[in-house]
Amino acid sequence: MVTARDAGLVGCTRCGRVHHMGTPACNRCGAPLSSRDDTSLQRVWAWWWAGLIAYIPANLYPMLLTSTLVSNTESTIVGGAVELFLHGDVGVALIVLIASVVIPIAKFMAIAFLAVSINKRHIMGEHAQHQLFSVVEFIGRWSMIDVFVVAILASLVRFSVVATINPGIAAVSFALSVAFTMQAALSFDPRIIWDDEK
Amino acid sequence: MTETPPEMEIQPPRPAWWQRISVVWLVPVIALLVALGIAWNSYAGRGTLIEITFQNATGLEAGQTTLRYRDVTIGVVEKVGFAPDLRNVVASVRVANDVAEYIDAEAQFWVVRPEVSVRGISGLDTVLSGAYIAGLWDNTSTGAQYAFTGLEVPPLMSGSDMGGLSITLRLRDGNQISAGAPIIHKGIEVGSVGEPRLAPDGDLVLIDAVIDAPYDRMITSNTRFWDASGFDIRFGAGGVELDVRSLASLIQGGINFDNVISGGDPVDPGQEYDVFADETAARSSVFTSTAVDKMLPLSVVFDGSVAGLTVGAAVNYRGLTVGTVTDLGAIVEGEGDDRRVRLLANLEIGTGQLGLGEDVSIDAARDFIARLVSEDHLRARLATASLFTGSLMVELVEVPEAPDAELDLEGEPFPLLPTTAPAITEFQTTAQGVIDRIGGLPIEGLMQSAIGALNSVQQLAGNPETQRVPTEAANLLSAARALVESDEVSGIVSDLRETTAGLSSLTRQIEQGQTVANLMSAIDRANQALEGAADVPQITGQLRELAEKANRMEVDQLAASAENLLRSADALIDSPEARQVPGALAGALREVDAMLAELREGGAVGNVNSALAAAESAATDLGSAAQGLPDLAARAARVLDQAGATVSGYGNDSRFNVELVTALRSLQEAADALTTLARTIQRNPNSIILGR
Repeated sequence: MVTARDAGLVGCTRCGRVHHMGTPACNRCGAPLSSRDDTSLQRVWAWWWAGLIAYIPANLYPMLLTSTLVSNTESTIVGGAVELFLHGDVGVALIVLIASVVIPIAKFMAIAFLAVSINKRHIMGEHAQHQLFSVVEFIGRWSMIDVFVVAILASLVRFSVVATINPGIAAVSFALSVAFTMQAALSFDPRIIWDDEK
Repeated sequence: MTETPPEMEIQPPRPAWWQRISVVWLVPVIALLVALGIAWNSYAGRGTLIEITFQNATGLEAGQTTLRYRDVTIGVVEKVGFAPDLRNVVASVRVANDVAEYIDAEAQFWVVRPEVSVRGISGLDTVLSGAYIAGLWDNTSTGAQYAFTGLEVPPLMSGSDMGGLSITLRLRDGNQISAGAPIIHKGIEVGSVGEPRLAPDGDLVLIDAVIDAPYDRMITSNTRFWDASGFDIRFGAGGVELDVRSLASLIQGGINFDNVISGGDPVDPGQEYDVFADETAARSSVFTSTAVDKMLPLSVVFDGSVAGLTVGAAVNYRGLTVGTVTDLGAIVEGEGDDRRVRLLANLEIGTGQLGLGEDVSIDAARDFIARLVSEDHLRARLATASLFTGSLMVELVEVPEAPDAELDLEGEPFPLLPTTAPAITEFQTTAQGVIDRIGGLPIEGLMQSAIGALNSVQQLAGNPETQRVPTEAANLLSAARALVESDEVSGIVSDLRETTAGLSSLTRQIEQGQTVANLMSAIDRANQALEGAADVPQITGQLRELAEKANRMEVDQLAASAENLLRSADALIDSPEARQVPGALAGALREVDAMLAELREGGAVGNVNSALAAAESAATDLGSAAQGLPDLAARAARVLDQAGATVSGYGNDSRFNVELVTALRSLQEAADALTTLARTIQRNPNSIILGR
């Protein structure tokens, strides 16, 4: 397989125009050109760690602070899902669980796996790695479902004493965590996949 | 050919690791720091854990139940567990650190739950929010403590950090008071009482009570408390009085207080007060001081029935209630065939009510009673308390003739007071006596007498003569009035005036005619002649004859007739035909007048002497006649009095009476006029002649 680098070419990551190697900047859109981003992996790991750190309080602290006339309820992500499940809303519980737990964790694992397994062909083929990266990038934004739900609830349910919903610390943490992981995925330079040691 | 040397593999120097490191690493570092900060913050701010032990955990919920101090949430129950022996519930509460240091050994905790009682609903907020634990402690820290025992009932001084006075109330009976009952002053709830408990000796009921600030200042040594529970019904002369307090005090009881007399010293917390049965007892206690623990117990054994004597019946001494009956029971006395049942009553005599004062001891009071028994023959006896209900009371009386006895100090259960014959007035007996007495009355004779008397009265009243009496009296009075009002009577006065005027003009003529001077000179001459002559006796005799002749003249008759006239006038006025009197009198006077006119016109100067004598005698007669006038007036007054007395029986408003009054008034005026005239004439008879 011939890569652009092998052919002495470099593609602009912004507009896609192909230049000769050594061209400092894209002559169409002006973006700086580099054949490979050397700090990509570093940044991936940095965002990855930040996301992981933010993910811990997101699960420990309550996501929703529900005050009703009768009671004050604080529910964490997993606690809320379990509660929904016990209520019988299996579907909703599954959605919450998948969107808030499964997907983020899968993302963490996928990004870590990609970062670790880069250039280690015996684990995974280039194409498979590329597909995995696409999936991670695509799926990342859906993790925000939980945050959206909380934001909408908190703004809609404001009936003074009767019922009020406030976002907890976890909501912020979770949003940050998702943002950090998305950033990690963005920081990943998929071109590295092709730099195989032959 | 030169070979270009192969391109050298130039390895640029690897930049140092800190140059290769990406700035993005700052993000996880910051995230880590923030996360650690949050973790530390929540760990440090989670507060102090204290453990409160309760008997049960009703309403306590981990993570839900809050701990409040003055209604401010300062902590949350983290865990509700059990004590190691499972006998108590332990609530672990996370308390804010800044408050935790004040929660010292004196802190009190209790669970506030919604409560519905007769006084209303409390803790309503806990219906929705759930129960909470309320805490109370002061604002000084004496060393934080971490394990407490919670109270099952809220403490009395729940609002007491502003003050308030805790006192202990002593009652004879606790069945009308329950915990939380209000303490009322002038209708305002100023405090409440706690759970009643028995005194250690079981005789009294003690209740802790709290008077809230600022009302605690009203509690002084002169404060008296009384039971305001329930309602009072009093039967009295004014009917039935029903006094109902608030619904709460009706059901839950209540205690009222007031300062019976002003002054009094402030008291220390924990002061004990007696609670009197009612306001009257409380107020009178200032003088009698019925401290509940200063009651002298005595026993009395009565022969015969004590039916009607109840527990609580009064013990009277000289009419004053000095105690009550506390127990009634039967005891068996004697041996064998002699065994008999006697009735034992236990009494309590208030030392204060006896007037022994508050400081006297029970023993001293007993000695006092013992002395009364031995020296003054004080005895107990049953007496009737109420004639209608037949209830009895115990009366302490001094019976001087009673045989000597002592207060039996060995008596069981209390010193035994000797008794005397009961003074029971049984209503049945009394009623029978009354009926007997009524039956013994000579009612039939009385009725017959009454009937006879009524018949007589009826006959008398039905008698036409009786009926005529008023008419005749009326006629008489109207006649008398007509007489008095008649012109003739008034004519008398004017005639008299005319006569007087005639007399006075006659006199004036006599004066003008120098008659008197002539007479005087004649007499002088006669005197001279007499002095000069030897035959005086002859002349004297002649003179006497002359005088006698003059005396015998018709003026004599005139005077006599005038006197007669006046006398007859008097008689006439006295007589029923009195109305003719004025006419006659007037005629007589007119005659006198005419006679005088004749005398004047006739110019009988030659008979001056006789005329003068006649005039004088006429004047004298008039005077004597006038002297009869007061008598006449008095008689008239008497008649009028009699008439008045007679008539006063005829009612006040009848026309007859009105007429009578009018007539009497006229008669009175006439009589007054006559009296005045008579007095004037009497005082100065000459005025009738001389006109002044």
